[in-house]
Amino acid sequence: MSTLTPNDIEIATRAADHFTRLYYTTYDSATRLDDLPNFYRPNSALTWNGKPFEGVDGVRELVSGIPATKHEVQSFDCHPIPGSQPPSLLVTVSGIVTHGKGPAANPANAPRSAVDGHPRVFSQTFMLAPDPNAPPTKSGEVAKYYITADALRFVG
Amino acid sequence: MSQAAFSSPTPAPGSRAIATNALRRAGLMDQDTKMRDMSDKPGGRKGSTLKVSKPRHPTHRPRGLETILGKSTPVLAQTIVTRPNDPRLKKRRNAGMSAPVTEKVIETWKEWVRRRWNPEAKFLNLERIASDDYLKKHGLTSPTSDAAGREAQVIFKIASKLRPEIETISLAHNGLTSGRMMSSIAHYLSGLKNLSLEGNSFRGWKELDYISGKRGRLEQLRELILVGNPIRELEYQNNRAAGYKSEVARRFPSLEILDGEAVTRVGFDAPATSTSSPSRASSMLSTFAWNMEPSFIAGVDGSLVVNFLMRFFPFFDNQRGALLDAYAPNATFSFSCNTSIPPRARIEGIHYSKDYPHQRKLEWGIWLSTSQGGSRNLGRMNEIAKVAESLHLGNQEAVKAMAALPQTKHDVAGSPEKFSVDAFPVRQGEQTNLLVTLHGQFVELPSQGIRSFDRSFVLAVSPEGSRAKQSGWDVIVLSDQLVIRGYSSFDAWKPGPMRVQYGDLLPSSGLQEALAPLPQPQRGRMQDVILRTRLNLQFAEDCLKNNDWDVERAIANFERVKASLPADAYLPQDAFQS
Repeated sequence: MSTLTPNDIEIATRAADHFTRLYYTTYDSATRLDDLPNFYRPNSALTWNGKPFEGVDGVRELVSGIPATKHEVQSFDCHPIPGSQPPSLLVTVSGIVTHGKGPAANPANAPRSAVDGHPRVFSQTFMLAPDPNAPPTKSGEVAKYYITADALRFVG
Repeated sequence: MSQAAFSSPTPAPGSRAIATNALRRAGLMDQDTKMRDMSDKPGGRKGSTLKVSKPRHPTHRPRGLETILGKSTPVLAQTIVTRPNDPRLKKRRNAGMSAPVTEKVIETWKEWVRRRWNPEAKFLNLERIASDDYLKKHGLTSPTSDAAGREAQVIFKIASKLRPEIETISLAHNGLTSGRMMSSIAHYLSGLKNLSLEGNSFRGWKELDYISGKRGRLEQLRELILVGNPIRELEYQNNRAAGYKSEVARRFPSLEILDGEAVTRVGFDAPATSTSSPSRASSMLSTFAWNMEPSFIAGVDGSLVVNFLMRFFPFFDNQRGALLDAYAPNATFSFSCNTSIPPRARIEGIHYSKDYPHQRKLEWGIWLSTSQGGSRNLGRMNEIAKVAESLHLGNQEAVKAMAALPQTKHDVAGSPEKFSVDAFPVRQGEQTNLLVTLHGQFVELPSQGIRSFDRSFVLAVSPEGSRAKQSGWDVIVLSDQLVIRGYSSFDAWKPGPMRVQYGDLLPSSGLQEALAPLPQPQRGRMQDVILRTRLNLQFAEDCLKNNDWDVERAIANFERVKASLPADAYLPQDAFQS
């Protein structure tokens, strides 16, 4: 079994930082239906609140059925997973997501104790892996990574 | 680069109109509180305090600058309030307040920026500003001088209006020791791609944090040059080039080239924001087409996952050291805290509810700084050393780090509804592993308060004859990430349809069954129209078909004709849950 180097850890950390920004910016954009599937491949496996979807088409189907979102990442973590080179990455994200227009769009008669419209807490875990069929396009890139697995739940 | 190259550029389209507008309204700065924050207290740093007490030459700061930047509580006004007896400040307040001076000052700065702008290269040359004859001739204060106030902000504001959009700025050879003058770049020029800081005198990482910190990060920076700054050159002289590169790259995750060399990194097929045409944007639903579903375990014998968790948590709660064999020799473990208050739990008042008497005794301190590296929230960490320290490599280190965490009680056997698990196989190279994500709650000891957690495991089948197998672990942990959060009720994953806004109708299971045969996206659109209009399936479908399946157009159409619709166009009340 191969071991991890400090360099692996550093690249992984930076990749997670870059990835989470790109991913949620794309998710929250008006063009997510066209753009979000770019992060996936036909063999990607994902679950959304326990509902399974598969591959690029599955992602498109999934997001076609979700209201507009606004994500706020509150914490994230990332490990390179030993075993392959360059290593796959396990990324976990914890944050909140507002669907639709948020609490301000609740009807005037909504009681203050109503939670609807307010942000939900979400937890999302990704496995990212190098794509053997997509060579790096820029110098310095060790590989193009894509989402092999994605598990999301609303948890609050 | 020679000034001549920038001699007679075309004024940016619309800049005149903006200037006129600005003058009429006495300000072209966005009424943006974030910006005000930034200028008043740059990054909450000591810089602003120092500035207040530092004697300066007030006449160098024409009043016009306040005008272009808007009336948003100028720094100076506050300064005057706090130090009313300083004659210099009084003099400054009276300096050049008349309109013609204002207009002239703004126009002068605009003209200067135009001279420095190369539209073909999308390049703004801000090199060697202090020795610029034009500035001297017009009596303008160099934004790089100690006497400067908001000059830099004015310049970047003007620069943000240039077309085509700026991609490159050079601030080379300005003798800068502080990054403060860059503090508004990210606000005005968030899409900046290339930045040269060559030949300045930056020494500490905090100077770079003006463009990489929380308040203003250049999130799209592709290339950066720091050659000729002590921050780089000292590291190279001391054979710490690798550390230097890591520190810079950590601050700019999008960086591709540093000092002319490619940065080693992972690439993504990210959509380029500029190429996605908004015309392709499709309208989004107002409701969820999908329900919250129960735990999902697929592609693997469910009992394998359940048995693992039922065995794992009693050990985790009572005897963490015994988990050694459950982790692969090269396993990874870390934990991180999301200390934000969950919005819905706050509204529900869980923290102060008498049903949860121990919540107020909870403290994050015992998690944030354990003896073993502490919480690993990468969103809050810049230091490379801490990033490495808080990731535990190998089963020995992993178990040691877990042992240092507060005591916990996970009631996995007694209250399964308090937990949710999704598990499915993932290919990793030649191997197929199992991704398990678990959400739930535990009692933290000794406070007895309740916390929520998310835990992600990558598991592999234990090899025959391995220590794990011999110790009764059919699967072995390759990777384990634990997130600890403020408590939210397990109602969050209660199966069924989910509401977006208060008062939204929810579909009955009968209605969902009736819609189930339809493919996406039609099904979601049908449900959206039905929930918003109560129309029955036939009417909803006709309405959508007549409007190219565009939900918003269908709703507008419905609003126009609803008075003429028969009563049986609508679904009965029992088609919905309210």
